[in-house]
Amino acid sequence: MKNSNKILDETPFQTAGPFLHIGCMPNKIKINNLYKNDLGEVPFKNKNGIEMITVEGSVFDGNGIALDDVMLETWQCDENGQFFEDNGFARFIPNKLTKQFKLFTVKPGQVENLDGKNQCPHICLLISSRGLNMTLNTRIYFEGDDLINDPILSMIKNNKGNIDSLVAKKIKKNIYVFNVFLQGNKETVFFDI
Amino acid sequence: MNVKSLVKRNYKKQPEIDFPDYKSSIFRAPKNKKISIPSNLEIFGPIFKKKIISKLDNDLTLNFSKNQMSPLGHKIIIHGTVSDQFSNPIKGALIEIWQANAAGKYLHQEDKNPAPIDPNFSGCGRSLTSSDGSYEFLTIQPGPYPYPNRGIEWRPMHIHFSIFGESFGQRLITQMYFEGDPLINLCPMVNSIADEKAKKSLVGKLDTSRSNIQNILAYKFDIVLRGVKQTYFENRQEGL
Repeated sequence: MKNSNKILDETPFQTAGPFLHIGCMPNKIKINNLYKNDLGEVPFKNKNGIEMITVEGSVFDGNGIALDDVMLETWQCDENGQFFEDNGFARFIPNKLTKQFKLFTVKPGQVENLDGKNQCPHICLLISSRGLNMTLNTRIYFEGDDLINDPILSMIKNNKGNIDSLVAKKIKKNIYVFNVFLQGNKETVFFDI
Repeated sequence: MNVKSLVKRNYKKQPEIDFPDYKSSIFRAPKNKKISIPSNLEIFGPIFKKKIISKLDNDLTLNFSKNQMSPLGHKIIIHGTVSDQFSNPIKGALIEIWQANAAGKYLHQEDKNPAPIDPNFSGCGRSLTSSDGSYEFLTIQPGPYPYPNRGIEWRPMHIHFSIFGESFGQRLITQMYFEGDPLINLCPMVNSIADEKAKKSLVGKLDTSRSNIQNILAYKFDIVLRGVKQTYFENRQEGL
């Protein structure tokens, strides 16, 4: 470690702007001759035969409008709590017409908290877009899990955070709905990690 | 036991999220205070492998050209290093960039600026950093362009950068500006950062030594991602 006394400042964020697709998902906007695949098209390869879930929803602004120019990125472990290389990473945008995103993935297993206790299954979620000077951090938890005893959710509750905003609602077998509210009385809890 | 954690983010050196001078932030910036939680999965990965990168991915002057035709505008080299806050170089960091062409036009159907598209330029590139944390792109000088904000305003010349280091919590999306551009100080997106030094760190510096060797204007832009530290914990409190 060089210059161990001096801690450098992190480079500041700037907005990803409205044209982030050019750099992050060129195939989605018909720039087809550059990359074979867009990054994070599927979170896991080789999950044949494993039960999959769908997490679907929209990202709403302060006017209650579902946005179609946001980029969502997720990072999670697999059903056994494992992740390696870029397996577990996905990147997606809402559909232009329905304004809904859909993440087709495996339900993550439990991961250990620092104290060795298990954390409820969750997916880390980043949101970037025009109008956001910094990328936002949140998490997707799942209805039906033992959320009351989760150490992180308890911490959020103690900080008066709206933990409901972090829980994907089960609407059918293996289908969950998770909406993000950037503002308003349902504003999603965002994290300083 | 030893536990890895991320250096706490210093928000004084970051842009204000809720910054009405940048109009798009008015209905998008969350109003509640962020809640601090310990990092966990965010400490690790994703890690991207070399095999995703093709030879021309970091050469925007060739990666979209038809019949060896060059894009319009003057070529520039953008280079620098990616390190963490402890000055450790980050190897294998994925940098994705996107930018307007020389006329200030993006190859994107939502770009309403009536400037010409360049059929030989996509404005898209990516690269993985070498073992010393260094990266390099060959591209075209992007033009400034007008956009609707408080009336019509002008974006300074810039290149968008998206970076993945070794952990999800280090993820950074930013923009690099060009030394000497008078539009930088007028830009509300830049001015959403209050700290002058932090603002300046987004300006790529003209690198004359490099420019003279290759006969191409070069700019140096170094990127610092959050540090990951090891902390020793004893007797943890219940529920922490």
